[in-house]
Amino acid sequence: MSKNKLLSTLNLLGLSIGIGSVLTLFFSVYAYYNADSNIEDQENIYYLKTTTTAGDAYKQTPYPLLKEIIKSSPEVIAATHLQNWNQPWLEYNESEFQERTNYVEPEFFQVFSLPLKHGNPQTALKEKYSIVLTNNVSQKIFGDKNPVGKTLKVNDSLNLNVTGVLESISPYSAFRLGVLMPTELLEDNPDFVARANWNDSFSLNYLHLRSTTNIEQFESRVEELIKKNYKDPDLIASIKLMPFAGMRTDSIPVVDTIISGCIAASVFILLIVLINLLNLNTSTMHRRTKDISVRKILGSSKKHIIVQFCIENGILVLVSIFISGLLFLGFLLPKLNNIYGADFGKISFNIINDYPVILFTVLLGIVVTLIVGILPTLRLISIPISTGIKGKLNTIKSNFLVRNSFIVLQFSIAILFICVAIILNNQIGFMKNASLGFNKENVIVGNIDLEFKNEAFATSKLNDLYSKLESNPYVKNYSISEVVPSNYNFSYTQFYDPETDTEMRTRYARTDDGYLKTLEIPLVMGRDFDENLDKADSYPVIINKTALKVLGWESIEGKRLKGKGSSGVGYSVVGVMDDFHYQDMQNEIEPLIHFYRGKDALAYHKFLSVRVTKGHESDVQEFIANRFDNISSRRQYEQQYLTDKVSAQYRLIEGMLKTVNVVALLTIFISCLGMFGLISFMAKRRIKEIGIRKVLGAGVVKIVILLSKDYILLVGIASVIAFPIAWYSMNAWLMDFAYSISLKWWMFGLSGFIALLIASFTVGIQALKSATVNPTKSLKTE
Amino acid sequence: MILKLNNASKIVNSGSNKIALLDNINLNVEEGEFISLMGPSGSGKSTLLNCIGMLDNFTEGTYAFLDESVHTMKERQRSKLYKEYIGFVFQAYHLIDELTVYENIETPLLYKNVKSSERKALVADILDRFNIVGKKDLFPVQLSGGQQQLVGIARALIGSPKLILADEPTGNLNSKQSEEIMELFTALNKEGVTIIQATHSEKNASYGSRIINLLDGNIVVE
Repeated sequence: MSKNKLLSTLNLLGLSIGIGSVLTLFFSVYAYYNADSNIEDQENIYYLKTTTTAGDAYKQTPYPLLKEIIKSSPEVIAATHLQNWNQPWLEYNESEFQERTNYVEPEFFQVFSLPLKHGNPQTALKEKYSIVLTNNVSQKIFGDKNPVGKTLKVNDSLNLNVTGVLESISPYSAFRLGVLMPTELLEDNPDFVARANWNDSFSLNYLHLRSTTNIEQFESRVEELIKKNYKDPDLIASIKLMPFAGMRTDSIPVVDTIISGCIAASVFILLIVLINLLNLNTSTMHRRTKDISVRKILGSSKKHIIVQFCIENGILVLVSIFISGLLFLGFLLPKLNNIYGADFGKISFNIINDYPVILFTVLLGIVVTLIVGILPTLRLISIPISTGIKGKLNTIKSNFLVRNSFIVLQFSIAILFICVAIILNNQIGFMKNASLGFNKENVIVGNIDLEFKNEAFATSKLNDLYSKLESNPYVKNYSISEVVPSNYNFSYTQFYDPETDTEMRTRYARTDDGYLKTLEIPLVMGRDFDENLDKADSYPVIINKTALKVLGWESIEGKRLKGKGSSGVGYSVVGVMDDFHYQDMQNEIEPLIHFYRGKDALAYHKFLSVRVTKGHESDVQEFIANRFDNISSRRQYEQQYLTDKVSAQYRLIEGMLKTVNVVALLTIFISCLGMFGLISFMAKRRIKEIGIRKVLGAGVVKIVILLSKDYILLVGIASVIAFPIAWYSMNAWLMDFAYSISLKWWMFGLSGFIALLIASFTVGIQALKSATVNPTKSLKTE
Repeated sequence: MILKLNNASKIVNSGSNKIALLDNINLNVEEGEFISLMGPSGSGKSTLLNCIGMLDNFTEGTYAFLDESVHTMKERQRSKLYKEYIGFVFQAYHLIDELTVYENIETPLLYKNVKSSERKALVADILDRFNIVGKKDLFPVQLSGGQQQLVGIARALIGSPKLILADEPTGNLNSKQSEEIMELFTALNKEGVTIIQATHSEKNASYGSRIINLLDGNIVVE
């Protein structure tokens, strides 16, 4: 063993890193699929998905639909809304907390068998004035104490009785819960009741059905309900039952890519590691041919020899599993949490829950050991003793071919990953640097949705701030608005042109008259909002160019828009703004309407945006922050640069990029380890030939080329295999983006070049070493 | 004069000791000579051949080859010089196993950047001359030792060298094969090729026009 120190170290290194990364990838996939495993009978849980005739799809339906379905369908075991409406303040012992709040039916726990840490699921939500907390929230408010029976004051008005605490929910779960309250409470809220009509789709519905349910029949019954009750059933193409199990991928589409990417990556890495081991093992075993022949002469049987090799490899694998375990816990898992934690929450390893992962790793180790222990030995054992004892093998040629195809495979995978990384990098760069239709530079955005204790006082203070901003020499423009780009709500409404009856589903938001100026969004037609001309109740609106196109208008002279189903006079269109990317570039620009709300309408506005002179950002930030110190509020005033907010939209994709980068680096690294081992083996075998060639007049360069050219050619072949696969898969992936780069030949060229560079470097070093040996030395070793 | 050695020595460090593999060798070789180097194992025959062949360097003294002083040359010039004028023949033939007879013979020409058509003509000539045209597509393992050495000599001659260095060329051959090889050397020598061979065999040495005896790195003066 000590003779092969280099090879053994390479083996151990490659194996540890490989298994460590497979472990990490496998663990995240396992955590993902296992996240909701405590919900029983999942295959019979469904949610409703609406598809409109215009082709939009969303998970919401009108609020009253669920009750009608329950009434008409005996197949329903239990059903619940998961309604979000507001985030009330919860008060306990003078401290206040605001948490994600969902309103659910009392049958919630009959739909989802989420285990309770405290409390009884049968009765927890039965009473109107009850509240169920997640473990996190309970910890935050009550610490480790059991809060069941305690009372929480909600929005200074209601007293709710804590009736249950949920067990911790995995961050990968389909559920993002904070607190649960009964829908009965919501139905007391007049604002809610006003919206809970048959026209407004804003409710999530979950149904637990009997396993015997005929889904088609059920859906057709739902269709009848739509026809009977919807104000405008023609707008709805269908409402379908969708399996709950598929909901997560439905809500964050890239998750699917991430998970399948993880699986593919772990399979590929495993393959590469396995190939490496096989290659290096076969190489070392050639040197041991003599050893084996002696053993055979001494009467050792096939079994003994295989067992011996398996034990040797088993020790190697075991040690690398141990190292990879340390690597996983100490480096890879924290790294993973670092990358995805912000979006999914941090995952942690827990022996009691996650023992299957350990079992998997051990099993993996055994399989790897058997494969790499048995396969190369079988070849050697079948070699006749008389040939073997001379320590020479003429089977190298055919062997070399087999190993070559392995190297091609390894490098195809590595090049594939490099390709993906390059393309991903370009797409992200493209999205971040694309012209957005507004100027994101030098804009400070602060949240003014702070739950002021005294709204009148806050309003006067803010008005004071506005006038100060107007006279501040460093402030070019400012605006207060309900939204800023990257933070537009998913608020849609249906409008129509009363002249032509053209209908339009449009996104909407409320802004003041400074919005377009502050963000430097160009006005194409008409005028901007103006606080001297416009009032909220005169209903002026500004539409974007896409909306103009959808409505088929040439000009906006005298144009009005009316809300579907409302009887008012409608909105007068005063201006058209140029299209701008109010959301990330994965999504297309849709029709957009801005309603006018004056600066005094504090309740509607959430953001204060200030365009400042370059170089004076921090002065202005400090100036504004100081003003907010004097206004008491439940939330803290915070500010950010608009550029950061825009970039943050791509955090998840950037996380993917980081993962792909690591995987690409790993695959190429492990592949090179293998190749390094192989070429050093080959160079040793060819040492005599190299000597002869040098005597015959070959220079160092010629020898290096001789030794390397095969491997370089292999990398070339690998590129030819990898490119179409990369092209095909990345092309499909880029289709998901409304605005994407087109694939260019240089992206593939570059990835091939990078692989080639690394490979030539690896091979070159070893080849150079062999080429500079004095031939008189190598020819003497006869 | 093809080469001239003046007080040429080869001294190596073995641990803290300095060992003289070759000690103050003075040797003049005229063009057309056939020299046999004799001496027991370890007397420095191979080292002398390697140093003359420029595969190795003398550490002291001067070495002139065709009136050019080799010991002051750079590696690149030396390599150019021996590629042009020197051919090697080895005891263990040192043919490349992966190449055919034809390719083995062709290899030195590749490293001399000879044109393809010219290479073909040269190799065909020498195959014809050595009567091994029929074996040109065989691999070395398919040949007898004598045949392999024939190929080795053909390979050494392909670049039409002025000097052939042969290190125990018949060491692995039986007496009949040895005789054939030595006769071939004599014929080549008559054509004007200078030959220096290292040998253990008195009989083989007698084919030479001059015998030089080496002992412990010194030329033994008779």
